[in-house]
Amino acid sequence: MSEPFEPKVVAFLCNWCSYAGADNAGIARMPSPPNILPIRVMCSGRVSPEMVLRAFRSGADGVLVLGCHIGDCHYISGNHRTAKRIPLLRNLLGYVGINPDRLRLDWVSSAEAPKFAKVTQEFVETVRALGPMARDSATEETGG
Amino acid sequence: MITFTIDGQTVQAEEGETILDVARREGIHIPTLCYHPAVEPYGACRMCTVEVERRGWTKLEASCTMPARDGLIVRTNTPDVYRFRQSLMGVFLSRCPNVPLIQELAAEYGVTEPPYPTATPEEKCILCGLCVRVCHDVVGAKALNFSSRGVDRLVGPPFLESAHECIACGACSIVCPTGAIEIALEDEAIYKEKPIGPTSAIHVPSLQAVPRIPVIDTNACIRFRQNDLTDGEIADACGVCQTMCEAGAIDFDQQDELVQLKVGAIVVATGFAMWDPKELPDLGYGRSPNIMTGLEFERLTGAAGPTAGQILTAEGKVPKKVAIIHCVGSRDERAHAYCSRFCCMYSLKQAHQVKDKTGAEVYSIYMDMRTFGKDYEEFYRRIRGEGIQFIQGRPSQVTVDPVTGKIFVEVEDILLGQVMELDIDMMVLATAIEPPPDAARIASTFGLGRTPDGWFAEAHPKLKPVETASAGVFLAGCAQGPRDVPDTVAHAGAAALEAVRLFNRGEVTISPTVAIVDAVKCVGCGECIMTCPYHAIDHGAEGKAVVNAVLCQGCGTCAATCPAGAITALHFTDEEIVAQIDGLLDLVV
Amino acid sequence: MIKDIRAHVAEKLKELDGVVALRRTTEGTAPYLFQEGDDLSQLVLEPRYPLASVISLLQKRYPEARFGIVARGCDTRALVEMAKREQVDADRLYLLGVACTAEEAEECHCAEPAPDVSMWPEAEVIGTPVPGAPPNPIVAEYENMSLEERQAFWQQQFLKCIKCYGCRDICPECFCESCALEDPLWVERGTLAPAFPMFHLIRAMHMASRCVACRQCELVCPAHIPLTVLYDLIRRDVGDLLGYVPGADIAASPPLSLTLEDAPVQVELD
Repeated sequence: MSEPFEPKVVAFLCNWCSYAGADNAGIARMPSPPNILPIRVMCSGRVSPEMVLRAFRSGADGVLVLGCHIGDCHYISGNHRTAKRIPLLRNLLGYVGINPDRLRLDWVSSAEAPKFAKVTQEFVETVRALGPMARDSATEETGG
Repeated sequence: MITFTIDGQTVQAEEGETILDVARREGIHIPTLCYHPAVEPYGACRMCTVEVERRGWTKLEASCTMPARDGLIVRTNTPDVYRFRQSLMGVFLSRCPNVPLIQELAAEYGVTEPPYPTATPEEKCILCGLCVRVCHDVVGAKALNFSSRGVDRLVGPPFLESAHECIACGACSIVCPTGAIEIALEDEAIYKEKPIGPTSAIHVPSLQAVPRIPVIDTNACIRFRQNDLTDGEIADACGVCQTMCEAGAIDFDQQDELVQLKVGAIVVATGFAMWDPKELPDLGYGRSPNIMTGLEFERLTGAAGPTAGQILTAEGKVPKKVAIIHCVGSRDERAHAYCSRFCCMYSLKQAHQVKDKTGAEVYSIYMDMRTFGKDYEEFYRRIRGEGIQFIQGRPSQVTVDPVTGKIFVEVEDILLGQVMELDIDMMVLATAIEPPPDAARIASTFGLGRTPDGWFAEAHPKLKPVETASAGVFLAGCAQGPRDVPDTVAHAGAAALEAVRLFNRGEVTISPTVAIVDAVKCVGCGECIMTCPYHAIDHGAEGKAVVNAVLCQGCGTCAATCPAGAITALHFTDEEIVAQIDGLLDLVV
Repeated sequence: MIKDIRAHVAEKLKELDGVVALRRTTEGTAPYLFQEGDDLSQLVLEPRYPLASVISLLQKRYPEARFGIVARGCDTRALVEMAKREQVDADRLYLLGVACTAEEAEECHCAEPAPDVSMWPEAEVIGTPVPGAPPNPIVAEYENMSLEERQAFWQQQFLKCIKCYGCRDICPECFCESCALEDPLWVERGTLAPAFPMFHLIRAMHMASRCVACRQCELVCPAHIPLTVLYDLIRRDVGDLLGYVPGADIAASPPLSLTLEDAPVQVELD
């Protein structure tokens, strides 16, 4: 019997804002779906297109990038670059037939535990509705 | 050298000096009305008339226009001279019977009643021509001149219409001995206030200024303004300050000098600015000269201020009722949500000063009394016992009676549950402080972050009040957030110490999570250099990128930027992150 | 026009250390550094080749020399982006711009077939500039496809890729000495077709603010993969989202590396 699809979502969280927000959500017992697989980076600016694509390649059905709000980056403007890279990458995914909604960028500060819970819940549901990523990959059948 | 005598005293003169020049230099008093050291003498008023004997002949001469000559015998106060001045004052007093200066000077010569009929009792102009000379020779605007002749002679702009040459510099008004010229602002409410700010374009900013030397406000200075207005045609108007300065310390040609300093630490102590209460018009700032900010009140009540510390309304009267409003622009969603921290204390002090100096009824209108520091609560208790009316509540409608100038303010006293209407003579608004207008530029120059209220960001809200996200850059005082003097002293001391700490150690401990460049892979494209928020990367040997590990804060944005993977963020390498990705996805089956 | 160009080059060779252009011999056509005394009748303009990479290498090898280059519009744009990234020294370069003909513009679907030399310290243009040709119609067709149709499109196209790295090798903006596409961390080794979407999207993201639409990648691909579709779209995104056109302005810094104040992005930011 086939089990219902549980999306796997890799979440890149920046140390000072979103990762702390995630911690606070946990402390406050705000529910976040277990589908979220967190990876801590010092700044959302560390997140390169290569690692987002690698996450998809390694089996993630969705990738979430959460950073500090613009203007509040602990490293002043690291998140400015994220703000430019991720929209471009989303469009590119769309151009090769992968639904861009599988990649989401949002800003969550350390004080915004409720927002962390809300964004993660929303995103997991979005990815659930899109189905497994394997469906979208063009070369899955070739074993490549 | 010319030698002559004045009142029996032998004096010397340079070629070209007048008798009056010499007398003034020697400290010999000769009365004048139309003389001013900044302009050429005119000889209009004749008050400086003295008796001059030369080659046996005696004449009455105006000393301001008579050149000194060898062998002159000058007498400044003979009976003839006295009678002459007496009759002069009779004429002046008849023309201007209500001008205090003329009244006083006439009284000196025993003239107390105007001997002749007066044409216009309100007349103040004595036709001395000082305003004309100043406007022509010093300012260069030439907006004023004499017109008509004889009894109709008067001073004014061409056709007595507003002259566009007039630059509203106020020189004519200042130099006029009788106060016949007033400066009025068009399209504004009557603003006959005592000046709260500096009274001249060249001024010492305050007695506590460091360094305490005068500066020239080039927006107000006649010389700079005329130069701008005439595109350099009139480039040397006025310059009186330079002429008068004995030390020769004034140089109008001073230019900004760009100095390059190599430093190991920077302390940002850029302070605060006052919020402009005109942004919320309900409290009436700008509608009456008697509604002022707390800072303006400090100037008024300060001993070095325009009234030598007396608390007076703009009309020059002692106020009977004064209201002091706390939290103007602070704790206000429409302006600043934060509390400006030190205003409650100074407002209490000001309330005490008003009570003490004037005995007026004082209303202190506050939201919460924030007297949190050492001895602050005790201070509040003391002030409460001085008969000041404390009203907890917010003021709303402020109206100003256009005839009497009285100020009416409605305020809800929430403790009594009543709305009160107060009629007051003076209102002080304890306005919010805010970051200075160029805070964004300062932040970007020094790599500073800003907290949501706009103040510069400290490295940690609890544990690192003076450090910033940029190593070696420290914050001191209100640059980081509102604080009063004792707290600023503590904060600034900490900043200084942190800076000194950097120098005293032989080595610096840095975090290991820095970026490093693999020079073999790097092609020197410079994109990492453009990316780094701390300017920690530079072109090194062969143009390849080199990271300054002390400046690097370890964000890793450079590593994500480099297409060649030539720069690595230690401890957050691509390999480590991929291992986490793979590991997490493998675990979840 | 070719005679004109050869004459110009001959003249310039008197003061330059060499001019890079294509040389045709009995053995074929290849980039060549013409120097004073060389037979300029061998200088040709076809086939199209990105000479920008060649000049970059020569400048690095001979840091004191002053060279010239015979450059089409695409070469010129490529040089602009290379200059911003320290790969070409504009002050040591004489640029002899060559305006493509209308047929050539048509063939390449080129929007800017004439070099813009206004920002080069020493440059001139030979030939009559013609207006740009309309874009490749395949791009508009592609945009109208649904996600499923696009998937199917690439399934057909990218399966042909034999990982020859031709597209990477020919691209003037791919000057990294260590390439992410050869890093086993990102692109698995020993598998054909190359991992999807890694190979193609990594290259596209790296080229985001660098691709000058020279079309060499597509021309050189032995599998005839229509790379134009991908690169035209990302070029357009960079223009729409970041207001940046690669190759247009030598003074404009690459926007992805700058702050939002210096190079804003036209997207809803919370």
